[in-house]
Amino acid sequence: MTDQNKPQPLPWENLSDAKPMKQVGMIIDLRRCVGCHACAVACKTEHEVALGGFRIRTHYLDRPDRPTFRFLPMMCMHCQDAPCIPACPQEAIQRLPDGRVDINKGDCLTNRDCIKACPYDAIHIDPQTERADKCNLCQQRTEVGLQPACVEACPTEALKFGDIGDAGSEVAVLAVKGEAKPFRAEKNTKPSVLYIGHEKWMEEKVKGVQLAPGENGVIYEQ
Amino acid sequence: MSDVSRRDFLKLTAAASAAAAAGELTLAQDKPAEQPSAPAKKSKHKHRKIDYRKATAIPTICFGCTTQCGVLGWVQDGEVRRITGNPLDPNNRGHICAKANGMIHGAYYPERLLFPLRRVGKRGEGKWKRITWEEAYDEIAARMKKIRDAKRPDLLAVHVGRDKTQGVIQRFLHAFGSPHALNRRAICSSNPRVSNMSYFGEPVDWDTGDYGSTRLILNFGANPMEAHQGGMGALQRIQQARVDGGAKLVTFEVRPSATASVSDEFYCVKAGTDGAICMAMAHVIVRDKLYDEKFWTRWCNLSLAELAEHLKPFTPEFAQRESGVPAADIERLAKEFAKAAPRCLTLINRGLTKHYNGAHSGRAARLLDILVGNIGRPGGFGITSRSNWKGEWGQDGLPRFGMPDPNPPAPQPWLPGTPMFEELPEPVKARVKAWPENWQKRYFGELYTPSEYPLSFAWQVMRVGQLIYPYLKEGRGRLELYFSYVFNSGYNYPESQVAREVLLDEKLIPFHVAIDVVVSETSALADIILPETTSLERWDFQVTNSYELVPFTGIRQPVIKPLGESRSVLTIFRDLARRVGGGMEKYFDFEDDEQFYKTAMKNLPISWEELKRRGIYYDASRPKDYELHERPVPAKELEGAQIDEKTGLISVDDKGKPKVIGIMIDKKAVRGFPSKSRKIEVRQDLFAQGARLAGLPAEDPCSAPLPTYFRIPSHVQLEKNELHLVTFKWNVHTQSRSNYFKYQVEIVHTNPVWMHPDTGRRLGLKDGDWIEVSVKRPKGNTYRAGESAAVGSFKNKVKFVKGMHPDVIACSHHVGHWEQGVVAHGKLAREPNGKAGHDPALQDRDIPDNLWWARAKGGPGNGAAINEAFPIDPTPLTGTQNWYDCVATIRKI
Repeated sequence: MTDQNKPQPLPWENLSDAKPMKQVGMIIDLRRCVGCHACAVACKTEHEVALGGFRIRTHYLDRPDRPTFRFLPMMCMHCQDAPCIPACPQEAIQRLPDGRVDINKGDCLTNRDCIKACPYDAIHIDPQTERADKCNLCQQRTEVGLQPACVEACPTEALKFGDIGDAGSEVAVLAVKGEAKPFRAEKNTKPSVLYIGHEKWMEEKVKGVQLAPGENGVIYEQ
Repeated sequence: MSDVSRRDFLKLTAAASAAAAAGELTLAQDKPAEQPSAPAKKSKHKHRKIDYRKATAIPTICFGCTTQCGVLGWVQDGEVRRITGNPLDPNNRGHICAKANGMIHGAYYPERLLFPLRRVGKRGEGKWKRITWEEAYDEIAARMKKIRDAKRPDLLAVHVGRDKTQGVIQRFLHAFGSPHALNRRAICSSNPRVSNMSYFGEPVDWDTGDYGSTRLILNFGANPMEAHQGGMGALQRIQQARVDGGAKLVTFEVRPSATASVSDEFYCVKAGTDGAICMAMAHVIVRDKLYDEKFWTRWCNLSLAELAEHLKPFTPEFAQRESGVPAADIERLAKEFAKAAPRCLTLINRGLTKHYNGAHSGRAARLLDILVGNIGRPGGFGITSRSNWKGEWGQDGLPRFGMPDPNPPAPQPWLPGTPMFEELPEPVKARVKAWPENWQKRYFGELYTPSEYPLSFAWQVMRVGQLIYPYLKEGRGRLELYFSYVFNSGYNYPESQVAREVLLDEKLIPFHVAIDVVVSETSALADIILPETTSLERWDFQVTNSYELVPFTGIRQPVIKPLGESRSVLTIFRDLARRVGGGMEKYFDFEDDEQFYKTAMKNLPISWEELKRRGIYYDASRPKDYELHERPVPAKELEGAQIDEKTGLISVDDKGKPKVIGIMIDKKAVRGFPSKSRKIEVRQDLFAQGARLAGLPAEDPCSAPLPTYFRIPSHVQLEKNELHLVTFKWNVHTQSRSNYFKYQVEIVHTNPVWMHPDTGRRLGLKDGDWIEVSVKRPKGNTYRAGESAAVGSFKNKVKFVKGMHPDVIACSHHVGHWEQGVVAHGKLAREPNGKAGHDPALQDRDIPDNLWWARAKGGPGNGAAINEAFPIDPTPLTGTQNWYDCVATIRKI
């Protein structure tokens, strides 16, 4: 009894600086995704994303082969050759040393050039801050060793985050084994976010993260 | 400011300057010299972004749905800014769904009620004045005293939707002397419970199993990937078993749910016919002798020969004719199921059981588990020791904990001769007078134990909530003071217009006290609204099924201080008990809520402080609850025990009464199952007995003692223009509790009617057309059966979905609110209801500014309320609402 009573170290106490990553990476395993939207709501709460825009979002897609759906979370791909960076006349977008692509909002003039340049429709204008906004892989979380909000929330562990530059990491192993591939590889932007189990028709059907109501024949109650 | 923390921002700026200084080629060189810097706009929005170096995590329990996951509330500057999963919770294992963070948006919702309100206009008119708690308590206590002085404490009722106080409601009512703890179980889970209780004596209300290590799941209409009790524990283990373990998930459904979508095989079945498939699979398993004979003969109260005879007519071809599923697939899956045993299980829940034949269809599905002997085995269906069970079933649960002593005595039954009984209508009195004494002793009037639904209180008292309002109208029950708590019948009950009609009628409900966090469709019809603390501001604890098969418990503790003047239901009842006095105050003799729950959990082997730190008590070193029925009765317990030679039941003396502690099987003393006979009661005579007590015609198949399938009376013959109508839940919503949580409503705020495109074309409809859906009353032996007038209707858009069964339409049921504030009703210009109870300091500019789905902003609006169209339709004997039995007609508008 006394043994059980011993104060147990708790993973959420005493957060400290995390080891810097060489190259951030994310694996989205579509075999596991159940379309629950936990990622989107965790993300929007974490970053107080205004209604209307999304940093990560799960699409429901009509399958061509069966009368059911497939689920597709979409987010900023943190491209190693990110077209948004040169597109911004303000130089408000940078690649950080660990490879994540981030908007320095203080410099944003909402020119929307980045939005036009992004092949994954990952950037939107936040109506509250009136700045361009997108995923930054939860820097405020990862710098203290926490997983990004979407990854931590995901009930089926369909999202995995790690150092793709560290050959031993789970995400690197998945990427190297060739199971995880870029979405729309032909865009040649070297995404740091890779997918397991996506198919060509999905790449053709979905534009990206943002979605106008009724778009894409997506079964979605809006 | 950027999302980059200030420290890193400085670091980056420095790095950029360094790069420029080193003469690196950057695009900066192409920049015009006088590039304007970003204008210094002041954001209208007060950001509450979180800094994890400054925030503290407080473990608590989610209230986003009934699964009750362990979570952490991250608090900074006194505000809760994030909810994440508690990794110590063995069920959710540190993960959350889309609903958890909604608790934040509920707590800080601008239209949250923070001060007590008294109505000043007519009931339901929406005119309120703010009153003090003292004024509210004075008025309510005076009414309670009046009832007590008239010696009719039963005229007080508390009607609850989702109660997680673990017994506080009943304690309050019993302390006062009333049985009327009314609930919503028949709206929800009573048929699946009956399916399990009729076999095992235990409801297994989450349909727990060893999902993580199973190989084959036959899912009859359950939807664990989207909406399921225990969903978080179930879905992650099912996906893990599928993707990592190669398990197969086979789903029978009427629509392409998320679960159907991730399933390895999906069969689109006709509504209400799954039971035929189950019976046919049982037929195949018995015909080909694929059963676990040893398990069956050891534990079941029916011979295999009798079962084989009973199953004869239920051939795969019969099931194909009923359900549309090919006989060959039924044959194959039955064989695969038996081959996978014991690593196989069936999954039953609302989809299978919210039907007239639902309790029996649930029995038919569970029969497959029993036949192949997967019960309690690795990868099979599980009956586990709930955390507070020690002593009840002889299992080694956690040390017993619960409501602190002293506990008030239970009220006396309504025997003939009592004033309550004599007030009942003559036919009811005649029915109950004919009952044997042991049943009369269970009777507490029609609101609590409706005499036509005896199986709603045969194993446990489940009640038939949807009949409360009709019964009050018909004079089958009478109330003076009515509390509602976490409850919204005015929106989400079937025939919700009847609920509202009765709630508006001051003769039928003379006084209504709503304990609520927002003005809902139900609290809008109250006389007094008491503002309740949200789940992030209060204490209680949770005891739920464990998907790790090891019992655990957790506490809900305040993450933030209660906002405004909100108070917990426990505090409210304590204060009222003290004010009413007369003896009831002694059951509420505690300083504060924390002390109450601390006392309740004092037997746990860890200290209160350590429990608060962890949030969860779980001993991972315990062996899993496999085959509890085979556990031997310890020799110490057998000392002085009696063994009944005929039944093998082992009993000990418990204060002068025999208490069963196990059963002799093959000369060994083992625990057995929690049923009366300690065996699996495949033959269950309570169905026939219940039919006699209720006066249900003997030919109604609901009285069948063996698992069976029969066609639902309303479905025997559909007219040419009729379709089945079912409802469903979305993964971001919980009934009507989540509809003012902005991020969830942003994802699902409308509810078009899903329809197969061929069906639409046959009816002359195009995708997106507007239709009116009307529902008629059911057939069979149920409430107002066979009446010809339509119950009600709703107007909505059509959405063509190719995975729909062509004879079925489906419409989700969370949206279309007209109360619960602007996020729910979407009317930006409307004056808030209950404004006197709001705190103007609670603001969220995002809500009025960016509510893009509001019609005023050119959006699609907030969907249709559909529950008026659903008839009150209780299953005979059990009383479960047959949500999925509806037969609808459609008119293009």
